Amino acid sequence: MAGDEHDPDGERPPRIQLTVWSVIALAVVAVAGLFTVRLEHQPETTRDYPPRPLIADGKLALLPGPEIDDEYLPCSDCHGDPERETGPVPRELEDEHDEMELAHGDLWCLHCHDSENPNRLRLADASLVAFEDSWQLCVQCHGKKLPEWRAGVHGKVTGSWRGDREYLTCVACHEPHSPATEPLEPMPRPRRPDEIALRAERSQEK
Amino acid sequence: MGIFKDRKERRTGAPGEKCGSTRRDFLRTAATVSAGAAIGAPAVASALEFDFEAFLQKNFRELSDAELKDVLARLERKYSEKYGKPVSVGAIGPMDGVLFGYGLDISRCIGCRRCVYACVEENNLSRDPEIHWIRVLEFERSAALREINLEDGNPYYEYSEVPAADKFYLPVSCQHCEDSPCSTVCPTGATWREPDGIVVIDYDWCIGCRYCMASCPYGARHFNWGEPNLPAEQVNPNMHMLGNTPRKKGVVEKCTFCIQRVRNGRLPACHEACPVGARKFGNLLDPNSEIRYVMDRKRTFVLKAELATHPKFFYFWGTEGRD
Repeated sequence: MAGDEHDPDGERPPRIQLTVWSVIALAVVAVAGLFTVRLEHQPETTRDYPPRPLIADGKLALLPGPEIDDEYLPCSDCHGDPERETGPVPRELEDEHDEMELAHGDLWCLHCHDSENPNRLRLADASLVAFEDSWQLCVQCHGKKLPEWRAGVHGKVTGSWRGDREYLTCVACHEPHSPATEPLEPMPRPRRPDEIALRAERSQEK
Repeated sequence: MGIFKDRKERRTGAPGEKCGSTRRDFLRTAATVSAGAAIGAPAVASALEFDFEAFLQKNFRELSDAELKDVLARLERKYSEKYGKPVSVGAIGPMDGVLFGYGLDISRCIGCRRCVYACVEENNLSRDPEIHWIRVLEFERSAALREINLEDGNPYYEYSEVPAADKFYLPVSCQHCEDSPCSTVCPTGATWREPDGIVVIDYDWCIGCRYCMASCPYGARHFNWGEPNLPAEQVNPNMHMLGNTPRKKGVVEKCTFCIQRVRNGRLPACHEACPVGARKFGNLLDPNSEIRYVMDRKRTFVLKAELATHPKFFYFWGTEGRD
């Protein structure tokens, strides 16, 4: 081949020498190029973080709603009196409850409260639950919300994203007698750019 | 008047003394001054407050464990001294098998801005000049039927009560893009995406060129045009070097998913502050997490999906009518 045409002991043909030199030149340019790229400092090494195992999901605590005013407790103080009968027909509320707004569909007291056990709540199957477990009552109608609440998607969750969590129960956000959420006063708006410019001018004048 | 005060004082300072001075006094003064200059050189350097250690500090990603320890100790000293209370500066790293994701239920957000100010307090944001990492944008509900343009959102709404009728709210902060344009354009490698998906900034390597701000499609990055003002009594002393360490003038900052909290298992401050539970946060790689429930069952969307930045901040419409 190419080697056979020339004397193997003689000098290399100029064409091959040229190729060798151009390869060297290219290598030099490439290395220089690499250094230029390095000037744009992009570290190639990533910090070695000690691997830590995931903490398995922790305990789940249910936070009951806001505490009921002691003044009203126990309910049996008033409702134990046979004179004070709890009527099954909706009417205007009086005395201690005259300021209570009833705006929960067409529900009346006895849908949730038990007239014979005023310190307990009453499920549809007539079983009684404590006030702290009121969510069991809510999900009788709002069953579609139950899986979402269990998953921590409906409602508010506090605690840890990987460990113990606290779930607020329904009545923490929804007043059961008028469950629509209340509007809130918003926090102050951010400054507009033109207001920031004015501030800068003012501080320069000082 | 302010800039002339010093000069005026010098001009009015005790002219009589100079007239009475002798040659001996002059020599004594000269000797004191030169001796003072010789031993006072380090003092001059400290007076200039030029921190050579900080100047020569390597990029966070290139620090060895020993160097990182020194840097953290120096930052702790610096901030404890500055704010007059013990400050801890950590650099806890990401966990294996964790990719953080954020979900925000726009059907529940009422635009109360509680998240904005919880973030300000947690992350040691400058109070004046004012910087907010979260902007709550207000849109017309009717606009939701058409295409929504992020630039049309109004962050300056004012009401006595929210939500306002026929409006909806879209809080926007750093979207923690998988393909983050900000870290691509950064010429100094001062911002990058960590293995757990949090896009962070090494404030000591930021040169304030604001390329990242120009490249961010979400307006999530904020520049310290002035010296940040952070009252000492309001400083959150639990800091992460890549998160809520107080910034200086001329650097860019943004949301870090509260890196100092979430890497210790806690929830971001905005998440805890939300009164309506619209914010969901967790590990996208954990099939039992809240965020995965949202991803699997809700119709989520990301902002400006057409730009292929692949944000890890997802919005969804969580409610399905009144049931």
